Amino acid sequence: MSVDRLPTYSVAELNTAIGSLLERGFAPRFLLEATVSRPQLRKGHLWLTLTDGSASIPGVVWASKLAQLSYQPKDGDGVTVVGKLNFWAARASLTVQALDIRPSLSTVLRDFERVRQLLEQEGLIDPSHQRPLPRQPASIAVLTSVPSSALADMLRTAAERWPMTQLIVVPIPVQGSVAPTIISTLEALAERTDELGLDALVLARGGGSREDLAVFDNEALCRLLANYPIPVVTGLGHEDDLTVADLVADHRAATPTAAIVALLPDREAERQGLAQRQSRLKDALLGRILRERQRLQDRDVDLQQQSPLEKIKRQRQALAQRHQLLKALSPERWLKRGLALISNTAGDPISDLESVKIGDQLNIRMSNGSLEARVDQIQPSAPTTSS
Amino acid sequence: MSKRQVKKEQRDRIEAWRKDAETLSYEEAIQALDLLLAELQNDSVPLADLQQKVLHGEVYLNRCQSLLDSVEQSIVELDPTTLKATPDA
Repeated sequence: MSVDRLPTYSVAELNTAIGSLLERGFAPRFLLEATVSRPQLRKGHLWLTLTDGSASIPGVVWASKLAQLSYQPKDGDGVTVVGKLNFWAARASLTVQALDIRPSLSTVLRDFERVRQLLEQEGLIDPSHQRPLPRQPASIAVLTSVPSSALADMLRTAAERWPMTQLIVVPIPVQGSVAPTIISTLEALAERTDELGLDALVLARGGGSREDLAVFDNEALCRLLANYPIPVVTGLGHEDDLTVADLVADHRAATPTAAIVALLPDREAERQGLAQRQSRLKDALLGRILRERQRLQDRDVDLQQQSPLEKIKRQRQALAQRHQLLKALSPERWLKRGLALISNTAGDPISDLESVKIGDQLNIRMSNGSLEARVDQIQPSAPTTSS
Repeated sequence: MSKRQVKKEQRDRIEAWRKDAETLSYEEAIQALDLLLAELQNDSVPLADLQQKVLHGEVYLNRCQSLLDSVEQSIVELDPTTLKATPDA
């Protein structure tokens, strides 16, 4: 190849040509999975190195974008970057300009575990400290993003279940410095729970990825929730998502709708309870009259038993019983069966031969009369031999 | 006292109970009703007052029922910074 046919550039021209080639040939936006290394704030911009261990590229988050991020990357965090390439022609340097940075799932779960362990050690995560929820709250605060399908679902469920409860909706951001904003809102609300008549707080956020819920693992936020002046119910993300906020709350509901179900009574169940009370009220009058009538009858019976005629009648019965007993025990019964009573002239009963001698006069009493007899002969019985 | 006067007194009394019940929340009204039911069921109410107590209970019951039938929910949206009600809420 002849030297004449080679393109000739000045340095500036070369750099501009590279820049325009990159601009034409590279995706305007892309996702980059990386680990953050040596993040540094300079003049409000965050400079960092994005690496995967074997390769690395410089990155930057401009100050204007940084303020909108809900997450600030730390050294060693796994992240997903929505980025574009920046090529500075003056120095031919290449940088990934981050439009958004989100923590990777492993970073989120590592943070969750760290905060969970810390608060558990301090006794802030303890099921025995969970307060009971109010039965029929007059007013509850709902902290959630507005507008959102989560809020719409919660409002619909609340209207179906218990329209008597006032809902005080406090919007929370989903972008930007979410944690400090939620914390300051919660702090301000905590000061005014009495003034607003709040009975409970619902902290809700609709579905999304687990990474989107990372703010609810924020240590300061969770400390505040753990010591909140009114019971806290969380309804964050999907059923399987667990955040530290769920662990410090007084009740963890699986979803925003479930949080409202947990907190508000069911109007239909309450209607049934009222119907039961209505029938109890109806029965109260009739039941009482029946019970009073029964009492009156019992007293009438008591009174009858106290009358003198009844007393004499009972004593007569007792006397008749004793008479029967006496008759049953009388010797007349024996005489009627053919036995006789023998007595001497003095009237003493004779029960053995020792009491009589030959010539004695005896009286023999039988069932229908008596006769006089004299002893002519005494014959003792032959002695019996015992075997 | 004539029969008409007795009836009027009774109407006035029920009206006063109703006005009183209207100031109660659902929880307060149902508590009052339960208290009254307990009194009625342990027979501590003198027989002469029985009818009045039952009527009073019905006033509480009606209050609870009308609250249960309410369909309007009060929703207030607060500004997250000032915690003042937002104008369009």
